[in-house]
Amino acid sequence: MNTVLWIIFYPLIAFCIGILYMGYSRKFNARVERRYGPSWIQPIYDIFKLMSKRTNISHGWMHDISILMLLGGTILTLMFIPVPGFSFFSQYGDMLVIMYIILIPSLGMALGVGETANPNGSIGISRALMMLAGYDVPFALSFIGMGMLNHTTSMFRLIQIQQAHGIASWGIVTNPLLGLAALIALQGMMGEKPFEVYIAPHEIATGPMTEMGGKFLGMMFITHAITIFVELTIFINLFLGGAVTWIDLILKQVVVFTLILSVNIVFGRFRVDDAMRFMWKIPGSLAVLGILFIIF
Amino acid sequence: MKQKITQRSAWDRILAKLNKRSLWMLHYCTGCGAIELPPTMTARFDMERFGIVPMVTPRQADILLITGYLSIKTLKRIILSYEQMQAPKWVVGFGSCTINGGMYWNSYTTIKRLDMYLPVEIYIAGCMPRPEAIIQSFDTLINRIDKGVANSWKDYYTNYDFYRKNQEKVFGEIETYNDIKSDAEKFGIK
Repeated sequence: MNTVLWIIFYPLIAFCIGILYMGYSRKFNARVERRYGPSWIQPIYDIFKLMSKRTNISHGWMHDISILMLLGGTILTLMFIPVPGFSFFSQYGDMLVIMYIILIPSLGMALGVGETANPNGSIGISRALMMLAGYDVPFALSFIGMGMLNHTTSMFRLIQIQQAHGIASWGIVTNPLLGLAALIALQGMMGEKPFEVYIAPHEIATGPMTEMGGKFLGMMFITHAITIFVELTIFINLFLGGAVTWIDLILKQVVVFTLILSVNIVFGRFRVDDAMRFMWKIPGSLAVLGILFIIF
Repeated sequence: MKQKITQRSAWDRILAKLNKRSLWMLHYCTGCGAIELPPTMTARFDMERFGIVPMVTPRQADILLITGYLSIKTLKRIILSYEQMQAPKWVVGFGSCTINGGMYWNSYTTIKRLDMYLPVEIYIAGCMPRPEAIIQSFDTLINRIDKGVANSWKDYYTNYDFYRKNQEKVFGEIETYNDIKSDAEKFGIK
């Protein structure tokens, strides 16, 4: 019974926390730029506004379905990520499953944007898939490395191992090279600067979101809120010893998110090839080095 | 107008309260007025505290801000952009050029009154208006949305023949990609 309740309310909880992070990021950017900034719950107003649009132009059924694929894929990924109180789907081998299903939302978006036939959208999605190939290498390597180090493919078991001896057994302490590689990959994964190549408002008019208006964009906002929660929690579970309580989890999330936002606000945007080269060179080689340390 | 206010349901009133806090703006920088927008967006006047953010594509925008004179060539693009926006949407005419032609009154390439071609919600007078005036006009728009009287966008759907006639007077036969009348029927805009 408890599990059923968790399955129903877990996406809602993740959405509520993620939406506050979206508000926090806007407020953070505004304060750094010495502006007053929007209200903390501004993304909630935005979603209500987008969802209550009177007209809604659809470009075809693939356009409609892609949005569901985006949201569904994200919620599916969320289900496999253990948090305090819920680890039902986190059994043997779930880390390998997460590595695969985390790609579903991007592929779903690619199908939908293809149908809108907007050149900016097509450029955006090709850049997004290219960045995916960039950050997925260090991220997958750090997944595999942590699995090898701890002799497990279960994220829940990994958290237990990391919590055995306090901070000394956290992934970022036992293997800092992998932790650093994953942290840089996380920056690209969240689409923050300097790896913001596929949104690039001034260059390709928000890329995949160019033709998305009204309810489509509203659904994308909801997905984005959950995605923030998913990505931060994956990093925390792998390298920061997971969390015992929800307060613990949220504290760690805020710390990691603030770190990422601080890098985001001071950097410009890389060019596509530069971003790709950077991802494979620096975090990629860091991750390979980390794995070599584990093997020998 | 008063009748329309009383006809709103409680849910509509709640939605208006939420919607007025989030307005995304597509600033179509046709003329010199665009120079007043950077200070409005950045630290000194900061319009993001009202939830007003510049957007880059017409699909996502709610406000079409037309800053300055409109040549006939630009007007065509503006009409196409406006028709791509999702309703409810509002046109804000910025500067005296959009009201009566301003200093381009004698020009043969510009149009003089914007509201002959698109339904304008608010005009900002001045050549050119300062950021305070822009903020004040957005404040007026927010109040009108809250009261439920910011319905100029419906005029384009219900009174399309008038606008189309004026547009054709300028351009001759024009090709637009949206069928406004069938859209109005499909989404039930009366």
